[in-house]
Amino acid sequence: MLQTLSVERRVDPHLSIDKYDPEAELLLLHMGPQHPATHGVFRMDLYLDGEIVVKAVPYVGYLHRAVEKLCEKLTYSQITPIVDKNDYVAPMTNEQAVNMAFEKLLAIEVPRRARWIRMIFAELQRIASHLLWLGTFTMDLGGALGGGTTVFMHSFREREMIMDLFEEVSGCRFHYNTHTIGGNRHDLPAGWAGRVKEALAVIEARISEYEGMSLENRIFVKRTKGVGVIEPGLALELGLTGPMLRACGIDHDLRRDAPFHAYDEVAPRVIVAEGGDCLARARVRLGELKESVRFVRETIDSIPEGSINGGRPIKLPNSIKIPPGQTYVGIETPRGELGTYLIADGSANPYRLKIRPPSLHALSALPYVLPGGTVSDALAILGSVDPIMGEADR
Amino acid sequence: MNVVLTAVVTCVAILTGILTATAWLIWFERKFSGRMQSRLGPTMVGPSGLAQPVADLVKLLQKEDVVPEAADRALFDLAPKLAALCALGAAAVVPFSATVVGAKIDLGVLFLLAIGAVTVMPVFMAGWASNNKFALLGGMRALAQSISYEVPLVLSAMVPVILAGSMDVSKIVEAQTRDGWYLIDPVWLGLPAFGLFLLAMLAESNRIPFDIPEAESELVAGVTTEYGGMKFALFYLGEYVHTLVASAVASALFLGGWDGPFAPGLHWMVAKTVGLFVFVYWMRWSLLRFRSDQLMRICWYWLVPLAVALLLGAGAWVVL
Amino acid sequence: MSERANLDTGASWTHPLYATLEKLPGVSLGLASVDDLLAWGLTNSLWVFPMATSCCGIELMAAAASRIDLDRMGTIVRGTPRQCDVMVVAGTITVKMAPRVLKLWEQMPEPKWCIAMGSCAISGDFYRNLYSVIPGIDTVIPVDVYIPGCPPNPEALMHGLLRLQEKVHARRRGEKVDRDPNPDLIRVTQPAIPRVCERDLGRNDELSKLQADQAGRVTEEQMCPAVDVPFEPPPPATPVFAPDFEGLLRELGVAVAADGPPLVPVERHFEFARRLKELGYRQLVSIVATHWLAGTGRAGKEEGASEHLEVAYVLRTVGPGSRLATWAVRVAPDQPIPSLVPLYAGADWQEREQFDLVGARFAGHPDLRRLMMAENYPGHPLRRDFPIDAHCAPWR
Ligand code: SF4
Repeated sequence: MLQTLSVERRVDPHLSIDKYDPEAELLLLHMGPQHPATHGVFRMDLYLDGEIVVKAVPYVGYLHRAVEKLCEKLTYSQITPIVDKNDYVAPMTNEQAVNMAFEKLLAIEVPRRARWIRMIFAELQRIASHLLWLGTFTMDLGGALGGGTTVFMHSFREREMIMDLFEEVSGCRFHYNTHTIGGNRHDLPAGWAGRVKEALAVIEARISEYEGMSLENRIFVKRTKGVGVIEPGLALELGLTGPMLRACGIDHDLRRDAPFHAYDEVAPRVIVAEGGDCLARARVRLGELKESVRFVRETIDSIPEGSINGGRPIKLPNSIKIPPGQTYVGIETPRGELGTYLIADGSANPYRLKIRPPSLHALSALPYVLPGGTVSDALAILGSVDPIMGEADR
Repeated sequence: MNVVLTAVVTCVAILTGILTATAWLIWFERKFSGRMQSRLGPTMVGPSGLAQPVADLVKLLQKEDVVPEAADRALFDLAPKLAALCALGAAAVVPFSATVVGAKIDLGVLFLLAIGAVTVMPVFMAGWASNNKFALLGGMRALAQSISYEVPLVLSAMVPVILAGSMDVSKIVEAQTRDGWYLIDPVWLGLPAFGLFLLAMLAESNRIPFDIPEAESELVAGVTTEYGGMKFALFYLGEYVHTLVASAVASALFLGGWDGPFAPGLHWMVAKTVGLFVFVYWMRWSLLRFRSDQLMRICWYWLVPLAVALLLGAGAWVVL
Repeated sequence: MSERANLDTGASWTHPLYATLEKLPGVSLGLASVDDLLAWGLTNSLWVFPMATSCCGIELMAAAASRIDLDRMGTIVRGTPRQCDVMVVAGTITVKMAPRVLKLWEQMPEPKWCIAMGSCAISGDFYRNLYSVIPGIDTVIPVDVYIPGCPPNPEALMHGLLRLQEKVHARRRGEKVDRDPNPDLIRVTQPAIPRVCERDLGRNDELSKLQADQAGRVTEEQMCPAVDVPFEPPPPATPVFAPDFEGLLRELGVAVAADGPPLVPVERHFEFARRLKELGYRQLVSIVATHWLAGTGRAGKEEGASEHLEVAYVLRTVGPGSRLATWAVRVAPDQPIPSLVPLYAGADWQEREQFDLVGARFAGHPDLRRLMMAENYPGHPLRRDFPIDAHCAPWR
């Protein structure tokens, strides 16, 4: 499958709408930027023939906060709390991505304990993020006043437990600012591991409930099966990563394939599903939810002792200067590969910091998959993409 | 004179009863859904939040009445009134007990079905008049859905009519008092017909899993997207009253209406109606939504053939 | 924004019926209690229109969810502005979004209020001086309650809504409200299950045991299936592809650079990408354009360098032992670069983004429009000579 090079692009996203059957009366439906199901501020213009989508034109940029420009003016240690706000559903992964790029250019060795803690944080963030996805996705399928909301409320109840754990570590519910260059800012509080296991036990016992409400629900399957199919070749070309890619049957996970943190010592299973449709994406995410819960439960006790911030002691964080150079670091977040392309010029601020957002790439698949489905399908697909606009637009 | 007076008093009593009941049922639904979602529901407005519907009503009364510039004003104004009226109108022929009934007409079932069919008109009217694409799509969906589900609804309602040999709802209930509820007697006929009626009723009153005309997450708020204030309240009310009356009809046609031991008839009727109503909302808060083409397929592939078979079965049962 | 007539929304609008009533003689006596009733109705059913653009929106969702449960005070979230009373602006409002917010605000029927949730909505937060963010939503619409925080807790949002109730009542009586938090109200907002970090403060010991109890009751069967993959280092990477990036560089005569990715001549760039794709670099990771002013370059100061753009490309192989391939193209600011869209569909949006922000031109791109900024935006904000605090009219 991966061997064939040419990918048949079934849908041409740049097709002029005038080329469509001139007899048809098309309805242009602007969805968004403020719409209950667009997950923030995302806009799609759908050309409808009846209820069938003929052409979809997505627009992003309604949350373009100019983070990259801002970073050019900030010192390296000031950047961490800013990038937190990009992927606001899993903020820690943002911090990790930029700090790892800084560390790479500075050639700082992160202590083993810090790497383990980062790994545990990343996995807990994955749980929180996938729980949020589950809630919002079923809400897209089931309406704000219906069964979908019930799932949403339940998954938020569990998410709060994870938020609590992080609040205990950093003092914030999100936007933690808990990573620094060379390690972590906060050590784990006493007894934290026990409370993590407590919360995970509760979540774990309820995952089967979620599966009953989603994957085993006939209506859920009917609404998602065969909807929004992305071919594996196209998925690769588009740069889809994370669950979107793995749902196309491509076995690729940076945690295993290009290990960072402590994933070279222990690695979670990679969840892959065939089909490339919404159901497959749901399968992958729920599978990862389960796997992450299991992974944290099994590894939390083996966090090594040691210092959490080392390599070399950083006394005056604002005076860190990174020697000229360029580097790219990509890590696996709940949404896929979050990358940082850093260009340093030897001063105290980055010359250019480009964040590679997995959500933006995932959204760029929409014009290829939406045509041919109905409006309901369009929203199901959008929900299954799990876009976070803060990250896509930056 | 006396006849007129009785009729007026009964009508007023039923209307007030239904409206108050709707208000508390809305409260109950919010509490109930809250419990299903492991939260509390309204607690702060009045004891246990009991005054919540009143507060909502007072608020909605005070809201500015916005009519979009491009809307078709006459239709836009008419639609919510008609929606509430249709829903309430259906209540006229529902016998709440042997004596409490708004209008005893011989063709009660026909009247009910006719009114039920008309209820889609205000919905489509609203969708068209709003001059809003979401509302228009909602209206179109509502129309398609109602017309399809009308068929199984009518056919399944015909089963008790044939069994009782009358179109008068009171007569049907009396017949059930005599020979047993149609739900269980004959069970092979009554149970599927009841299920079918319930499903079609859900679809008619646009309840999940058949709520595609409203489809909050897809079409913003469907046909009511442009409606605010009292007009929205009328739609909201119409929806709930529709569900309530439909539950009442279902309990009259299949569950023996006011028939029941120990307690007076009215109590039984209310209990059955509320029970069905709660069931509908239970469904609502636990199911996801179908897609429109899937709904049509379910209707024409499964429900309509089943309904026809049940009708034939009922005919055969009576003849033999 | 000249017409800010309705800055004082709570007091300025009265229902026509109410206005007529007020004129009738004798009615005014009863009006006081009627007024109370009306205000009670208004405040106890505040339906929220979620103007949730970013992170604060997640806390808005959390406030509606089970722990805080805004429904307790009769507040529900509706999707259409026509049915809402309070617009909660939760998140950063960008220049592109602000007109939409204004439009939605105008669509809400009176009486209506606005709550600015989070520092972004209040003042623009640390984005306030940037080219694409407006400095606070009160430059667009009138705000009644400000909830500080980044993000404010869900409790804080509920507190804000309760304070709004107070404000409406006070306004009707012609009183002023103070700005400080109201401790009584804060107590109301507290969830039944306190947060972990507050438990040690012993706020409610009974309830704090709840979660521990729940965890204790979880049985073995409820847990996820036991591990069938032992935790050990993953097997040594057996790459699906073992592409020889360096070999290709040698073959094409591209020099390896020490201070960054190898520079490929722009004429051979497309060919180079095609060869890489054939080698197995199937996933397009990123396209990064950088603007260098005259006299600067990769090593910081570069004497004699003219103004130029450097566009770096990152590709990846998938599967175990994933490898990266990075190369760059150096062009003059308006010299076009061959587009990679025919090879990688994902280059479409990436190139549009770099065109938008840095101003790199891509020849052969099917639809080179701006991606992030509005169509008519002047300039390319990520160029080094673009001032960071370029004003974004008309919002400031
Ligand atoms: S105030 Fe903070 S949390 Fe809220 S939107 Fe702004 S950056 Fe995000």
